[in-house]
Amino acid sequence: MSIYFEDLEVGRVDTFGRCEVTREEVIAFAEKFDPQPFHLNDEAAAKTFFKRISASGWHIASMTMSMLIKQVHAEGFQAAGSPGVEDLKFLKPVYPGDVLTCERTILEKRRSEKRPNMGVFREQICAYNQDGVKVLSWQASVFILVRGD
Amino acid sequence: MRHFEDIVVGEKNRFGQYLVTREEVLDFAAKYDPQPFHLSDEAAAQTHFGRLAASGWHSCAMCMAMMVEQFAAAGHAGLGSPGIDELRFIKPVYPGDVLHVEAEVLEKTRSKSKPEMGSYRSRIELVNQDGVVVVRFTAIDLIRARSTQ
Repeated sequence: MSIYFEDLEVGRVDTFGRCEVTREEVIAFAEKFDPQPFHLNDEAAAKTFFKRISASGWHIASMTMSMLIKQVHAEGFQAAGSPGVEDLKFLKPVYPGDVLTCERTILEKRRSEKRPNMGVFREQICAYNQDGVKVLSWQASVFILVRGD
Repeated sequence: MRHFEDIVVGEKNRFGQYLVTREEVLDFAAKYDPQPFHLSDEAAAQTHFGRLAASGWHSCAMCMAMMVEQFAAAGHAGLGSPGIDELRFIKPVYPGDVLHVEAEVLEKTRSKSKPEMGSYRSRIELVNQDGVVVVRFTAIDLIRARSTQ
């Protein structure tokens, strides 16, 4: 099955994915890319509003991306990359032990003016934790192939 | 230690040096962004990337690594970030690239509800060895104030 530009339904909402946040991965990501104290140890985090060790925002975005890409592959989305992201919000801390899911809403779509075989759609991506609390959101524009039949 | 009072609107800083390795590009993509053009040269050759390119989220993470290193070197009373806006993946990032960061403070605001802290917005550019801006975003950062006025 493949999903082309023509198949996208504006307004459609899909929920998918499951990502268990492990302490090891939170620390490994933070050590490499975001070694701020509140991402590395509970004592330092206790002095901040995080209260205990929490995942880097870039790590949360990356985990969300992994759920999104798995879904896009399963659906056969003929996506061709993204020029950028708007309004990336780190809404709530993500802690080791949390289990995240992803929600995608198709906001709008249009044909590309420059490339006739290509369309662009805008999507809202949200990540939720196991309590249904929204922890992260962003909006992205994504290129997608036109079936053209 | 840099506090809210020390943030100077209009100040520009250039810092960091990050060698993008093939191993890291593959490792990050396998975990978080397993799109073919982030995983193999053959697949990337069929896209506008031309060859293996880093995930945009990986580029952001590398940028963050340099920013945190800079924070740590200068001493920085940072309290995390509520989000990022206008994130643009402008040019591909390839293995072998050497990246640095160019940052400019755009504005700062003391918190009305918590005057012991404030936030500031910066334009962050990730730049490669040829002086080409590859990623740009606007960062919002929270920081402790030295005093409440």
